[in-house]
Amino acid sequence: MDIDLSVDIAGVQLANPLMTASGTCGYADEYADFVDLTTLGAFVTKSITLEPRQGNDYERVVETRAGMLNAIGLANVGLDVFLDQKVPLLEKLALPVFVNVAGTTIDDYVAVAAALDDVPVVRGIELNISCPNVKAGGIQFGTDGAQAAEITARIKEVCGKNILIVKLSPNVTDISSIAAAVVDAGADALSMINTLAGMAIDTETRRPVLANVTGGLSGPAIRPVAVHMVHSVYRKVASPAGVPIIAMGGIQYANDALEFLLAGATGLAVGTALFVDPACLTGIRDGIVEYLQRHGHGAITEIIGALEI
Amino acid sequence: MNVLSNVRLCRGHYLMRLGGREFPPTLPGQFVQLQCRVPGEQPGWSAVEVAPGDWPKPTGRELTDAEPLLRRPLSLAGRYDTEFDVELDIIYSVVGTGTAWLARAGQGDEISLLGPLGNAFAISESKPRAALVGGGVGIPPMIYLASAMQAAGKRAVAFCGARSADMLPITLTPSQFGQFGVDSVIATDDGSLGWKGFVSEPLAAWLDAMDAPDRQAVVYACGPEPMMRAVAEICIARNVECQVSLERHMACGMGTCQSCVCKTKSDAEQGWSYKLCCTDGPVFNARDLIW
Repeated sequence: MDIDLSVDIAGVQLANPLMTASGTCGYADEYADFVDLTTLGAFVTKSITLEPRQGNDYERVVETRAGMLNAIGLANVGLDVFLDQKVPLLEKLALPVFVNVAGTTIDDYVAVAAALDDVPVVRGIELNISCPNVKAGGIQFGTDGAQAAEITARIKEVCGKNILIVKLSPNVTDISSIAAAVVDAGADALSMINTLAGMAIDTETRRPVLANVTGGLSGPAIRPVAVHMVHSVYRKVASPAGVPIIAMGGIQYANDALEFLLAGATGLAVGTALFVDPACLTGIRDGIVEYLQRHGHGAITEIIGALEI
Repeated sequence: MNVLSNVRLCRGHYLMRLGGREFPPTLPGQFVQLQCRVPGEQPGWSAVEVAPGDWPKPTGRELTDAEPLLRRPLSLAGRYDTEFDVELDIIYSVVGTGTAWLARAGQGDEISLLGPLGNAFAISESKPRAALVGGGVGIPPMIYLASAMQAAGKRAVAFCGARSADMLPITLTPSQFGQFGVDSVIATDDGSLGWKGFVSEPLAAWLDAMDAPDRQAVVYACGPEPMMRAVAEICIARNVECQVSLERHMACGMGTCQSCVCKTKSDAEQGWSYKLCCTDGPVFNARDLIW
Protein backbone atom coordinates (compact mmCIF):
# COMPACT_ATOMS: atom_id res chain seq x y z
CA MET A 1 0.00 0.00 0.00
CA ASP A 2 1.33 3.40 -0.97
CA ILE A 3 1.42 5.86 1.88
CA ASP A 4 0.54 9.47 1.12
CA LEU A 5 2.99 11.68 3.00
CA SER A 6 1.94 14.96 1.41
CA VAL A 7 0.81 17.84 3.56
CA ASP A 8 -0.57 21.30 2.91
CA ILE A 9 1.00 24.27 4.70
CA ALA A 10 -1.43 27.14 4.16
CA GLY A 11 -1.79 26.36 0.47
CA VAL A 12 1.81 25.29 -0.19
CA GLN A 13 1.83 21.61 -1.12
CA LEU A 14 4.71 19.58 0.34
CA ALA A 15 5.59 16.06 -0.79
CA ASN A 16 6.25 15.23 2.84
CA PRO A 17 6.24 17.19 6.11
CA LEU A 18 10.02 17.24 6.63
CA MET A 19 11.90 20.51 6.56
CA THR A 20 15.20 21.91 7.72
CA ALA A 21 15.02 24.02 10.86
CA SER A 22 16.31 27.50 10.19
CA GLY A 23 20.01 27.95 10.81
CA THR A 24 20.85 24.28 10.65
CA CYS A 25 21.22 23.80 6.93
CA GLY A 26 22.52 27.17 5.77
CA TYR A 27 21.34 28.04 2.29
CA ALA A 28 21.50 24.50 0.96
CA ASP A 29 25.03 24.71 -0.44
CA GLU A 30 26.96 23.58 2.64
CA TYR A 31 25.39 20.15 2.93
CA ALA A 32 25.36 19.31 -0.74
CA ASP A 33 28.03 16.63 -0.27
CA PHE A 34 26.42 15.00 2.71
CA VAL A 35 22.66 15.04 2.50
CA ASP A 36 20.09 14.12 -0.05
CA LEU A 37 17.89 17.19 0.11
CA THR A 38 15.30 15.51 -2.08
CA THR A 39 14.11 13.69 1.05
CA LEU A 40 12.73 17.05 2.19
CA GLY A 41 9.26 18.46 1.72
CA ALA A 42 10.49 22.04 1.98
CA PHE A 43 13.71 23.92 2.68
CA VAL A 44 13.93 26.58 5.39
CA THR A 45 16.93 28.92 5.17
CA LYS A 46 19.12 30.41 7.82
CA SER A 47 17.93 33.82 9.04
CA ILE A 48 18.32 36.73 6.66
CA THR A 49 18.64 40.29 7.86
CA LEU A 50 18.65 43.47 5.79
CA GLU A 51 22.38 44.06 6.39
CA PRO A 52 25.06 41.37 6.74
CA ARG A 53 25.94 40.38 10.31
CA GLN A 54 29.22 39.01 11.64
CA GLY A 55 27.55 37.34 14.61
CA ASN A 56 28.80 36.88 18.14
CA ASP A 57 32.33 36.21 19.37
CA TYR A 58 33.71 32.70 19.92
CA GLU A 59 32.67 30.48 21.84
CA ARG A 60 29.38 30.18 20.09
CA VAL A 61 28.26 26.66 20.96
CA VAL A 62 28.59 24.24 23.84
CA GLU A 63 27.18 20.77 24.13
CA THR A 64 25.06 20.09 27.19
CA ARG A 65 23.45 16.82 28.21
CA ALA A 66 21.30 15.68 25.26
CA GLY A 67 21.40 19.15 23.79
CA MET A 68 23.45 22.09 22.69
CA LEU A 69 23.48 25.74 23.55
CA ASN A 70 24.21 28.16 20.75
CA ALA A 71 24.69 31.88 20.52
CA ILE A 72 25.63 32.45 16.90
CA GLY A 73 24.06 35.89 16.80
CA LEU A 74 22.29 35.68 13.43
CA ALA A 75 25.53 35.69 11.44
CA ASN A 76 24.39 35.93 7.83
CA VAL A 77 25.30 37.39 4.46
CA GLY A 78 22.51 40.00 4.36
CA LEU A 79 19.66 40.44 1.91
CA ASP A 80 21.62 41.60 -1.15
CA VAL A 81 24.13 38.75 -1.16
CA PHE A 82 21.31 36.32 -0.40
CA LEU A 83 19.37 37.42 -3.47
CA ASP A 84 22.47 37.50 -5.61
CA GLN A 85 24.31 34.33 -4.59
CA LYS A 86 22.05 32.09 -2.52
CA VAL A 87 18.76 32.25 -4.38
CA PRO A 88 20.28 30.59 -7.50
CA LEU A 89 21.34 27.66 -5.26
CA LEU A 90 17.87 27.40 -3.77
CA GLU A 91 16.33 27.37 -7.24
CA LYS A 92 18.24 24.18 -8.01
CA LEU A 93 16.60 22.36 -5.10
CA ALA A 94 13.22 22.04 -6.82
CA LEU A 95 11.59 22.37 -3.39
CA PRO A 96 9.34 25.01 -1.86
CA VAL A 97 11.60 27.38 0.08
CA PHE A 98 10.68 29.26 3.23
CA VAL A 99 13.05 32.09 4.15
CA ASN A 100 13.60 32.90 7.78
CA VAL A 101 13.60 36.68 8.26
CA ALA A 102 15.07 38.53 11.24
CA GLY A 103 15.67 42.17 12.03
CA THR A 104 16.04 44.91 14.56
CA THR A 105 13.19 47.20 13.55
CA ILE A 106 9.82 46.50 11.94
CA ASP A 107 10.97 48.46 8.89
CA ASP A 108 13.96 46.09 8.50
CA TYR A 109 11.66 43.08 8.52
CA VAL A 110 9.26 44.70 6.08
CA ALA A 111 12.06 45.57 3.64
CA VAL A 112 13.36 42.00 3.56
CA ALA A 113 9.91 40.41 3.34
CA ALA A 114 8.90 42.77 0.51
CA ALA A 115 12.02 41.94 -1.50
CA LEU A 116 11.39 38.22 -1.06
CA ASP A 117 7.91 38.50 -2.51
CA ASP A 118 9.55 39.05 -5.90
CA VAL A 119 11.56 35.81 -5.72
CA PRO A 120 9.63 32.96 -7.38
CA VAL A 121 11.39 30.07 -5.61
CA VAL A 122 10.46 31.53 -2.22
CA ARG A 123 7.03 30.36 -1.15
CA GLY A 124 6.90 31.69 2.37
CA ILE A 125 8.43 33.89 5.05
CA GLU A 126 9.26 32.46 8.44
CA LEU A 127 9.14 35.44 10.73
CA ASN A 128 11.85 35.15 13.38
CA ILE A 129 10.62 37.08 16.36
CA SER A 130 12.16 34.65 18.78
CA CYS A 131 15.97 34.63 18.49
CA PRO A 132 17.29 34.73 22.04
CA ASN A 133 20.89 35.47 21.10
CA VAL A 134 21.08 39.07 19.95
CA LYS A 135 20.27 42.16 21.95
CA ALA A 136 17.92 43.47 19.30
CA GLY A 137 17.07 40.47 17.19
CA GLY A 138 13.37 40.47 17.30
CA ILE A 139 12.65 38.59 20.49
CA GLN A 140 11.16 41.79 21.87
CA PHE A 141 8.45 41.34 19.24
CA GLY A 142 7.95 37.70 20.12
CA THR A 143 7.39 37.93 23.84
CA ASP A 144 4.62 40.54 23.82
CA GLY A 145 1.28 39.72 22.22
CA ALA A 146 0.53 43.24 21.02
CA GLN A 147 3.96 43.73 19.44
CA ALA A 148 3.84 40.27 17.89
CA ALA A 149 0.47 41.10 16.35
CA GLU A 150 1.72 44.44 15.04
CA ILE A 151 4.76 43.06 13.25
CA THR A 152 2.74 40.14 11.88
CA ALA A 153 0.16 42.51 10.41
CA ARG A 154 2.86 44.75 8.90
CA ILE A 155 4.65 41.83 7.25
CA LYS A 156 1.39 40.32 6.05
CA GLU A 157 0.76 43.53 4.08
CA VAL A 158 3.86 42.95 1.94
CA CYS A 159 3.27 39.22 1.50
CA GLY A 160 1.54 38.84 -1.84
CA LYS A 161 2.30 35.35 -3.01
CA ASN A 162 4.32 34.28 0.07
CA ILE A 163 2.66 32.65 3.02
CA LEU A 164 3.54 34.05 6.43
CA ILE A 165 4.78 31.63 9.06
CA VAL A 166 5.44 33.09 12.50
CA LYS A 167 8.10 31.36 14.60
CA LEU A 168 7.21 31.38 18.26
CA SER A 169 9.49 31.70 21.26
CA PRO A 170 9.09 29.24 24.11
CA ASN A 171 10.53 31.84 26.48
CA VAL A 172 7.14 33.24 27.39
CA THR A 173 4.57 32.72 30.12
CA ASP A 174 1.77 31.63 27.80
CA ILE A 175 2.73 30.65 24.28
CA SER A 176 -0.91 30.13 23.29
CA SER A 177 -1.75 33.79 23.86
CA ILE A 178 1.12 34.87 21.55
CA ALA A 179 -0.03 32.28 19.01
CA ALA A 180 -3.60 33.61 19.17
CA ALA A 181 -2.36 37.19 18.72
CA VAL A 182 -0.35 36.43 15.57
CA VAL A 183 -3.08 34.23 14.09
CA ASP A 184 -5.60 37.05 14.60
CA ALA A 185 -3.11 39.42 12.93
CA GLY A 186 -2.94 37.28 9.80
CA ALA A 187 -0.33 34.54 10.29
CA ASP A 188 -0.93 31.71 7.82
CA ALA A 189 1.06 29.16 9.83
CA LEU A 190 2.96 28.83 13.10
CA SER A 191 6.38 27.30 13.62
CA MET A 192 7.45 26.29 17.07
CA ILE A 193 9.53 26.19 19.10
CA ASN A 194 12.63 28.35 18.80
CA THR A 195 15.42 27.58 21.27
CA LEU A 196 14.96 27.84 25.01
CA ALA A 197 17.10 30.49 26.69
CA GLY A 198 19.87 28.77 28.61
CA MET A 199 23.33 29.14 30.03
CA ALA A 200 26.40 27.09 30.87
CA ILE A 201 29.14 28.05 33.31
CA ASP A 202 32.77 26.93 33.39
CA THR A 203 33.12 26.26 37.09
CA GLU A 204 36.93 26.40 37.03
CA THR A 205 37.15 29.86 35.52
CA ARG A 206 33.77 30.88 36.95
CA ARG A 207 32.91 32.43 33.62
CA PRO A 208 30.09 31.72 31.17
CA VAL A 209 31.11 29.22 28.49
CA LEU A 210 29.53 31.26 25.70
CA ALA A 211 30.95 34.64 24.75
CA ASN A 212 27.37 35.90 24.60
CA VAL A 213 26.87 34.69 28.21
CA THR A 214 23.50 33.11 27.38
CA GLY A 215 22.42 30.96 24.46
CA GLY A 216 19.55 28.99 23.04
CA LEU A 217 19.10 25.33 23.96
CA SER A 218 18.21 22.86 21.22
CA GLY A 219 18.36 19.13 20.65
CA PRO A 220 16.66 16.11 22.25
CA ALA A 221 16.71 17.80 25.67
CA ILE A 222 13.96 20.24 24.65
CA ARG A 223 11.66 17.79 22.86
CA PRO A 224 9.20 17.23 25.73
CA VAL A 225 8.83 20.99 26.16
CA ALA A 226 8.22 21.42 22.44
CA VAL A 227 5.71 18.55 22.28
CA HIS A 228 3.76 20.06 25.15
CA MET A 229 3.71 23.51 23.55
CA VAL A 230 2.63 22.15 20.15
CA HIS A 231 -0.12 20.16 21.87
CA SER A 232 -1.29 23.18 23.78
CA VAL A 233 -1.24 25.63 20.85
CA TYR A 234 -2.88 23.07 18.54
CA ARG A 235 -5.81 22.57 20.88
CA LYS A 236 -6.34 26.18 21.91
CA VAL A 237 -5.43 28.12 18.75
CA ALA A 238 -4.27 26.35 15.63
CA SER A 239 -6.92 23.66 15.30
CA PRO A 240 -9.90 25.98 15.89
CA ALA A 241 -8.44 28.56 13.48
CA GLY A 242 -7.43 25.99 10.86
CA VAL A 243 -3.80 27.17 10.94
CA PRO A 244 -1.07 24.54 10.46
CA ILE A 245 1.83 24.12 12.91
CA ILE A 246 5.38 23.39 11.79
CA ALA A 247 6.96 21.67 14.78
CA MET A 248 10.62 21.62 15.75
CA GLY A 249 12.54 20.89 18.93
CA GLY A 250 14.65 17.78 19.31
CA ILE A 251 13.46 15.75 16.32
CA GLN A 252 16.15 13.15 15.63
CA TYR A 253 14.33 9.89 15.00
CA ALA A 254 10.99 8.88 13.49
CA ASN A 255 9.38 8.37 16.87
CA ASP A 256 10.19 11.97 17.82
CA ALA A 257 8.47 13.14 14.64
CA LEU A 258 5.45 10.95 15.34
CA GLU A 259 5.01 12.52 18.77
CA PHE A 260 4.72 15.93 17.15
CA LEU A 261 2.30 14.70 14.46
CA LEU A 262 0.02 13.18 17.09
CA ALA A 263 0.22 16.39 19.11
CA GLY A 264 -1.04 18.33 16.10
CA ALA A 265 1.87 19.29 13.89
CA THR A 266 1.47 19.36 10.10
CA GLY A 267 5.10 20.15 9.30
CA LEU A 268 8.24 18.80 10.97
CA ALA A 269 11.59 20.60 11.02
CA VAL A 270 14.86 18.87 11.85
CA GLY A 271 17.66 21.01 13.21
CA THR A 272 20.35 19.99 15.65
CA ALA A 273 20.10 16.36 14.51
CA LEU A 274 21.34 17.43 11.06
CA PHE A 275 24.62 18.49 12.65
CA VAL A 276 25.06 14.97 13.97
CA ASP A 277 23.79 13.00 11.01
CA PRO A 278 22.90 14.83 7.79
CA ALA A 279 21.33 11.62 6.52
CA CYS A 280 18.85 11.31 9.40
CA LEU A 281 16.02 12.72 7.28
CA THR A 282 15.77 9.46 5.36
CA GLY A 283 15.49 7.45 8.58
CA ILE A 284 12.80 9.72 9.91
CA ARG A 285 10.77 9.54 6.70
CA ASP A 286 11.06 5.77 6.44
CA GLY A 287 10.15 5.35 10.10
CA ILE A 288 7.01 7.43 9.66
CA VAL A 289 5.98 5.30 6.67
CA GLU A 290 6.59 2.13 8.68
CA TYR A 291 4.45 3.42 11.54
CA LEU A 292 1.59 4.44 9.25
CA GLN A 293 1.62 1.02 7.58
CA ARG A 294 1.68 -0.77 10.91
CA HIS A 295 -1.29 1.24 12.15
CA GLY A 296 -3.25 0.87 8.92
CA HIS A 297 -3.15 4.47 7.73
CA GLY A 298 -3.01 5.46 4.07
CA ALA A 299 -2.12 9.10 4.63
CA ILE A 300 -0.03 11.00 7.12
CA THR A 301 -2.82 13.55 7.58
CA GLU A 302 -4.86 10.85 9.35
CA ILE A 303 -2.64 11.03 12.42
CA ILE A 304 -2.23 14.81 12.72
CA GLY A 305 -3.66 15.75 16.09
CA ALA A 306 -4.78 12.15 16.66
CA LEU A 307 -3.67 12.23 20.27
CA GLU A 308 -6.12 10.49 22.56
CA ILE A 309 -6.49 11.80 26.08
CA MET B 1 34.50 2.06 9.43
CA ASN B 2 35.64 -0.51 11.95
CA VAL B 3 38.20 -0.28 14.71
CA LEU B 4 41.30 -2.28 13.79
CA SER B 5 43.19 -1.28 16.90
CA ASN B 6 42.88 1.26 19.68
CA VAL B 7 46.03 1.50 21.77
CA ARG B 8 47.18 3.78 24.54
CA LEU B 9 50.21 5.80 23.44
CA CYS B 10 50.90 7.68 26.65
CA ARG B 11 49.02 9.24 29.53
CA GLY B 12 45.58 10.22 28.21
CA HIS B 13 46.41 9.71 24.52
CA TYR B 14 45.28 6.92 22.21
CA LEU B 15 45.91 5.83 18.63
CA MET B 16 42.87 4.42 16.87
CA ARG B 17 43.29 2.74 13.51
CA LEU B 18 40.07 2.47 11.52
CA GLY B 19 39.59 0.26 8.51
CA GLY B 20 36.97 0.19 5.80
CA ARG B 21 36.39 -0.84 2.23
CA GLU B 22 36.61 2.71 0.95
CA PHE B 23 36.90 6.32 2.03
CA PRO B 24 37.04 9.46 -0.15
CA PRO B 25 40.49 10.93 -0.91
CA THR B 26 42.02 12.77 2.05
CA LEU B 27 44.90 15.19 2.57
CA PRO B 28 47.08 16.05 5.58
CA GLY B 29 45.40 18.78 7.63
CA GLN B 30 41.89 17.52 7.00
CA PHE B 31 39.71 16.17 9.78
CA VAL B 32 36.78 13.85 10.31
CA GLN B 33 33.77 14.05 12.61
CA LEU B 34 33.46 10.91 14.70
CA GLN B 35 30.22 9.87 16.31
CA CYS B 36 30.93 8.70 19.83
CA ARG B 37 28.15 6.14 20.07
CA VAL B 38 27.15 2.91 18.36
CA PRO B 39 25.98 3.81 14.82
CA GLY B 40 22.27 3.38 14.22
CA GLU B 41 21.49 2.98 17.87
CA GLN B 42 18.60 5.12 18.99
CA PRO B 43 18.73 6.19 22.60
CA GLY B 44 15.68 4.80 24.29
CA TRP B 45 15.16 2.03 21.75
CA SER B 46 16.66 -1.42 21.67
CA ALA B 47 19.58 -1.71 19.28
CA VAL B 48 19.25 -5.45 18.77
CA GLU B 49 18.17 -6.66 15.38
CA VAL B 50 14.45 -7.18 15.18
CA ALA B 51 12.57 -9.68 13.05
CA PRO B 52 10.91 -8.40 9.87
CA GLY B 53 7.55 -6.88 10.76
CA ASP B 54 8.61 -6.53 14.36
CA TRP B 55 9.21 -3.21 16.07
CA PRO B 56 12.12 -2.16 18.26
CA LYS B 57 11.19 -2.06 21.92
CA PRO B 58 11.70 0.96 24.15
CA THR B 59 14.40 0.29 26.72
CA GLY B 60 14.17 3.45 28.74
CA ARG B 61 17.81 4.08 28.00
CA GLU B 62 17.17 7.67 26.98
CA LEU B 63 16.83 8.42 30.66
CA THR B 64 20.36 7.34 31.44
CA ASP B 65 22.05 8.00 28.12
CA ALA B 66 25.51 9.37 28.83
CA GLU B 67 26.82 9.39 25.28
CA PRO B 68 27.30 12.73 23.59
CA LEU B 69 24.93 14.14 21.03
CA LEU B 70 27.38 15.91 18.78
CA ARG B 71 30.23 14.38 16.81
CA ARG B 72 33.84 15.06 17.74
CA PRO B 73 36.18 16.66 15.18
CA LEU B 74 39.56 14.92 15.04
CA SER B 75 42.37 15.42 12.56
CA LEU B 76 43.75 12.56 10.53
CA ALA B 77 47.10 11.23 11.70
CA GLY B 78 47.66 9.01 8.70
CA ARG B 79 46.14 7.07 5.86
CA TYR B 80 47.17 3.72 4.41
CA ASP B 81 45.56 2.41 1.25
CA THR B 82 45.85 -1.23 0.30
CA GLU B 83 44.39 -3.17 -2.55
CA PHE B 84 41.43 -4.18 -0.39
CA ASP B 85 40.80 -1.41 2.08
CA VAL B 86 41.55 2.01 3.50
CA GLU B 87 43.02 2.50 6.94
CA LEU B 88 42.86 5.81 8.81
CA ASP B 89 44.78 6.77 11.94
CA ILE B 90 43.29 9.02 14.59
CA ILE B 91 45.29 10.09 17.62
CA TYR B 92 43.17 11.64 20.35
CA SER B 93 43.44 12.67 23.95
CA VAL B 94 40.67 11.84 26.38
CA VAL B 95 39.19 15.14 27.48
CA GLY B 96 35.53 14.35 28.06
CA THR B 97 32.53 12.12 27.48
CA GLY B 98 33.02 11.66 23.74
CA THR B 99 36.71 10.86 23.73
CA ALA B 100 36.25 8.61 26.78
CA TRP B 101 33.74 6.60 24.74
CA LEU B 102 36.29 6.36 21.91
CA ALA B 103 38.92 5.07 24.34
CA ARG B 104 36.58 2.22 25.31
CA ALA B 105 35.99 1.14 21.70
CA GLY B 106 37.46 -2.22 20.87
CA GLN B 107 38.66 -4.09 17.81
CA GLY B 108 35.83 -4.68 15.34
CA ASP B 109 33.56 -1.96 16.73
CA GLU B 110 31.88 0.15 14.11
CA ILE B 111 32.43 3.91 14.20
CA SER B 112 30.53 6.43 12.11
CA LEU B 113 32.79 8.94 10.36
CA LEU B 114 31.80 12.05 8.48
CA GLY B 115 34.42 13.46 6.19
CA PRO B 116 36.93 14.31 5.02
CA LEU B 117 36.29 17.87 6.18
CA GLY B 118 38.21 21.14 5.94
CA ASN B 119 41.08 22.32 3.79
CA ALA B 120 44.59 20.90 3.91
CA PHE B 121 48.20 21.96 4.40
CA ALA B 122 49.61 23.41 1.19
CA ILE B 123 52.91 21.91 0.09
CA SER B 124 55.26 24.46 -1.45
CA GLU B 125 56.51 23.70 -4.92
CA SER B 126 59.62 25.84 -4.63
CA LYS B 127 60.78 25.49 -1.04
CA PRO B 128 62.72 22.30 -0.35
CA ARG B 129 62.56 22.21 3.45
CA ALA B 130 59.80 22.03 6.03
CA ALA B 131 59.38 22.16 9.80
CA LEU B 132 56.45 20.19 11.17
CA VAL B 133 55.73 21.68 14.59
CA GLY B 134 53.27 19.82 16.79
CA GLY B 135 52.34 20.34 20.40
CA GLY B 136 50.61 17.54 22.33
CA VAL B 137 47.53 16.39 20.52
CA GLY B 138 48.52 18.76 17.67
CA ILE B 139 51.23 16.29 16.68
CA PRO B 140 48.96 13.79 14.85
CA PRO B 141 48.30 15.85 11.68
CA MET B 142 52.06 16.38 11.45
CA ILE B 143 52.60 12.62 11.15
CA TYR B 144 50.21 12.52 8.20
CA LEU B 145 51.94 15.60 6.75
CA ALA B 146 55.31 13.85 7.13
CA SER B 147 54.13 11.13 4.74
CA ALA B 148 53.20 13.79 2.19
CA MET B 149 56.56 15.51 2.65
CA GLN B 150 58.34 12.27 1.87
CA ALA B 151 56.18 11.76 -1.21
CA ALA B 152 56.92 15.33 -2.35
CA GLY B 153 60.66 14.83 -1.84
CA LYS B 154 60.98 17.53 0.83
CA ARG B 155 63.53 17.57 3.65
CA ALA B 156 61.40 17.85 6.73
CA VAL B 157 62.11 17.96 10.45
CA ALA B 158 59.44 17.38 13.09
CA PHE B 159 59.43 19.49 16.25
CA CYS B 160 57.33 17.76 18.88
CA GLY B 161 56.40 19.40 22.16
CA ALA B 162 54.62 18.10 25.23
CA ARG B 163 54.19 19.05 28.87
CA SER B 164 56.28 16.06 29.94
CA ALA B 165 57.72 12.84 28.52
CA ASP B 166 54.74 10.75 29.64
CA MET B 167 52.37 13.00 27.70
CA LEU B 168 54.11 12.80 24.36
CA PRO B 169 51.70 10.97 22.04
CA ILE B 170 54.30 9.40 19.78
CA THR B 171 56.59 6.45 20.10
CA LEU B 172 60.30 7.05 19.69
CA THR B 173 61.66 3.69 18.57
CA PRO B 174 60.45 3.32 15.93
CA SER B 175 59.22 6.85 15.60
CA GLN B 176 56.14 7.61 13.54
CA PHE B 177 58.13 10.35 11.82
CA GLY B 178 61.16 8.14 11.19
CA GLN B 179 59.15 5.82 8.96
CA PHE B 180 58.81 8.74 6.54
CA GLY B 181 62.46 9.75 6.76
CA VAL B 182 61.68 12.72 8.98
CA ASP B 183 63.89 13.36 12.02
CA SER B 184 62.21 14.61 15.15
CA VAL B 185 63.27 17.11 17.78
CA ILE B 186 61.56 16.67 21.15
CA ALA B 187 60.91 19.41 23.67
CA THR B 188 59.15 19.08 27.02
CA ASP B 189 58.10 21.84 29.37
CA ASP B 190 59.66 20.05 32.36
CA GLY B 191 62.75 18.77 30.57
CA SER B 192 61.84 15.12 31.22
CA LEU B 193 62.70 14.40 27.57
CA GLY B 194 64.66 16.33 24.96
CA TRP B 195 64.97 20.09 25.04
CA LYS B 196 63.71 21.69 28.26
CA GLY B 197 61.31 24.42 27.29
CA PHE B 198 58.93 25.24 24.50
CA VAL B 199 59.17 23.60 21.11
CA SER B 200 59.31 27.04 19.48
CA GLU B 201 62.85 27.56 20.80
CA PRO B 202 64.56 24.77 18.84
CA LEU B 203 62.47 25.79 15.83
CA ALA B 204 63.92 29.32 15.98
CA ALA B 205 67.42 27.87 16.25
CA TRP B 206 66.78 25.61 13.23
CA LEU B 207 65.60 28.55 11.12
CA ASP B 208 68.51 30.75 12.24
CA ALA B 209 71.03 28.08 11.28
CA MET B 210 69.72 28.10 7.72
CA ASP B 211 70.71 30.39 4.88
CA ALA B 212 67.73 32.41 3.64
CA PRO B 213 65.03 30.43 5.49
CA ASP B 214 62.36 32.58 3.83
CA ARG B 215 63.27 31.03 0.48
CA GLN B 216 64.14 27.59 1.84
CA ALA B 217 61.49 26.55 4.33
CA VAL B 218 57.82 26.39 5.20
CA VAL B 219 56.74 25.97 8.82
CA TYR B 220 53.58 24.01 9.65
CA ALA B 221 52.15 24.14 13.16
CA CYS B 222 49.37 22.56 15.17
CA GLY B 223 48.95 22.56 18.92
CA PRO B 224 47.96 24.76 21.83
CA GLU B 225 47.20 28.31 20.74
CA PRO B 226 50.06 29.96 22.71
CA MET B 227 52.48 27.56 20.98
CA MET B 228 51.10 28.30 17.52
CA ARG B 229 51.16 32.00 18.21
CA ALA B 230 54.83 31.82 19.31
CA VAL B 231 55.67 29.82 16.19
CA ALA B 232 53.78 32.30 14.01
CA GLU B 233 55.70 35.24 15.52
CA ILE B 234 59.05 33.51 14.98
CA CYS B 235 58.16 32.91 11.34
CA ILE B 236 56.70 36.32 10.62
CA ALA B 237 59.80 37.98 12.15
CA ARG B 238 61.96 36.00 9.69
CA ASN B 239 59.54 36.38 6.79
CA VAL B 240 59.09 32.61 6.70
CA GLU B 241 55.82 31.12 5.42
CA CYS B 242 53.83 29.61 8.27
CA GLN B 243 50.64 27.54 8.07
CA VAL B 244 48.79 26.84 11.31
CA SER B 245 45.97 24.40 11.94
CA LEU B 246 43.47 25.82 14.41
CA GLU B 247 41.26 23.99 16.85
CA ARG B 248 37.74 25.19 17.59
CA HIS B 249 34.66 23.75 19.21
CA MET B 250 32.20 22.99 16.46
CA ALA B 251 28.82 21.34 16.05
CA CYS B 252 28.50 20.32 12.40
CA GLY B 253 31.98 20.65 10.83
CA MET B 254 30.36 21.37 7.47
CA GLY B 255 30.01 25.15 7.45
CA THR B 256 26.43 25.29 8.55
CA CYS B 257 26.22 25.90 12.27
CA GLN B 258 28.64 28.86 12.16
CA SER B 259 30.11 27.99 15.57
CA CYS B 260 33.83 27.63 14.90
CA VAL B 261 34.71 31.20 14.01
CA CYS B 262 38.17 32.74 14.05
CA LYS B 263 39.10 36.33 13.39
CA THR B 264 41.06 37.02 10.23
CA LYS B 265 42.34 40.24 8.68
CA SER B 266 40.08 41.59 5.97
CA ASP B 267 39.19 44.65 3.92
CA ALA B 268 35.96 45.04 5.90
CA GLU B 269 35.36 48.34 7.67
CA GLN B 270 36.41 47.02 11.07
CA GLY B 271 39.58 45.47 9.65
CA TRP B 272 38.61 41.88 10.34
CA SER B 273 36.03 39.30 9.55
CA TYR B 274 35.11 35.88 10.85
CA LYS B 275 36.15 32.78 8.99
CA LEU B 276 34.98 29.27 9.77
CA CYS B 277 37.58 26.86 11.09
CA CYS B 278 35.71 23.91 9.55
CA THR B 279 35.41 24.99 5.92
CA ASP B 280 37.76 27.98 5.49
CA GLY B 281 40.31 26.13 7.66
CA PRO B 282 41.39 24.44 9.81
CA VAL B 283 44.66 25.45 8.10
CA PHE B 284 45.27 29.19 7.86
CA ASN B 285 48.21 31.30 6.81
CA ALA B 286 49.59 32.68 10.09
CA ARG B 287 49.77 36.18 8.60
CA ASP B 288 46.00 36.28 8.09
CA LEU B 289 45.05 35.52 11.67
CA ILE B 290 44.15 37.89 14.45
CA TRP B 291 45.02 35.95 17.60
